[in-house]
Amino acid sequence: MSVRPPTLRENRRYILARVLPSGTLIDQKELYYAISDAVTSLWGDGMAAVITPAVVAAEGDFVFIRCRRGTERELIIALSTVTGCRETRLALRILAASGTMESLRERIRLMSPPAAPAPAGQSPEEPVVSQSGEMPESPKAPDASPEPPAAAPEYLFGGIAYTACHCDGQKVDVIEKGFKNTHRLFLTRQDLENV
Amino acid sequence: MKITDAAVFVHPSGDSSVRRMALEAKSLGFDSLVALDAPACEYEGITVYAGRYLRERAMRDVIARVKQARGTDAVISVQAGDNGFNRAVLGLKGVHILRGIQSADKTAFDHVAARMAADNRVAIDLDLSVLISTRGIARQRAIHRYLDILVLEQRFEFPLTLSSHARSILDMRSTREIAGLCSILGMDAADVAKALGGIGVLDTPTRPAVRVIG
Repeated sequence: MSVRPPTLRENRRYILARVLPSGTLIDQKELYYAISDAVTSLWGDGMAAVITPAVVAAEGDFVFIRCRRGTERELIIALSTVTGCRETRLALRILAASGTMESLRERIRLMSPPAAPAPAGQSPEEPVVSQSGEMPESPKAPDASPEPPAAAPEYLFGGIAYTACHCDGQKVDVIEKGFKNTHRLFLTRQDLENV
Repeated sequence: MKITDAAVFVHPSGDSSVRRMALEAKSLGFDSLVALDAPACEYEGITVYAGRYLRERAMRDVIARVKQARGTDAVISVQAGDNGFNRAVLGLKGVHILRGIQSADKTAFDHVAARMAADNRVAIDLDLSVLISTRGIARQRAIHRYLDILVLEQRFEFPLTLSSHARSILDMRSTREIAGLCSILGMDAADVAKALGGIGVLDTPTRPAVRVIG
């Protein structure tokens, strides 16, 4: 089958969204099912067919969601009803919409904040732990020193030990110590100082 | 007019601290929020109002709780019940918001209750978490109920508030997303802006029904 010429192809738009909480491991397919379910549930099959949502890329905390041009508003409303992906709770924060993914990537580059100092006892390069408690693979510098990282400080809330897992400016996420059913709390540096 | 999320639950009722919720609210375009069962504070330019959420089913208990909270600056809201209960609550001095209409029975809020809400400046809360997190018949019922409330609001002009009922920053939505969700209910941008600023008008004295001249 020959490829359609560009003038006969349907026009698409790409929406850039940030996935919260930071560090969540995103499975594109699972996220697509969650978005498709949200769109179909809210707008019905007919409108979902017109919108044709698709998750085209997931890069770090950002995802690129494609839709047909002119249906961005409907897709964005439906995206605000996405509350989870499989058993993982998440939220999608819409950042921008564009006709090309390249311009959205440019937007990500502009948004990248300078590295913020971490809370006491935690190095800013500390790996981010996903909500399930798994450690994502992080690229290591070839000449990285073999010294073990300093132990992350523990914080006690209601008699339960938590450890910091993500830090972004004033925002600090802490996760319950353990392997299963670990809860995540969303705090600030000031909250940790008051503990 | 402050753009306000009229109900959030902070730690320990939720998983986010009040400061973190204030930070998130700021990035989502809000000026203030009502933290239910939490003290008032101000953080990073966001005003956090203390909220008291009364879920008592007996009117006697509600009256006692409202009397206790009346001296404070807390935003007092009451969980809706049947029609008689709602009318009694709407006539009670000190109550600011009636919540949970979508889960009350079909006749819980009628034109008489709407007029009382308008006269006593008691806001009716639209809980957006139902639109966000539920699917199917539950969401359809809530939308239907909200459409009915909006018809009465057009006629009687009682205050409306919009709340996310967020128990986490993950449940919070931006003002733009809220406007989008409210467009499902037929609300335009001006209606949404008015409802988001609904907390600000609750203490504004209304024109008296009877005016003494001379």
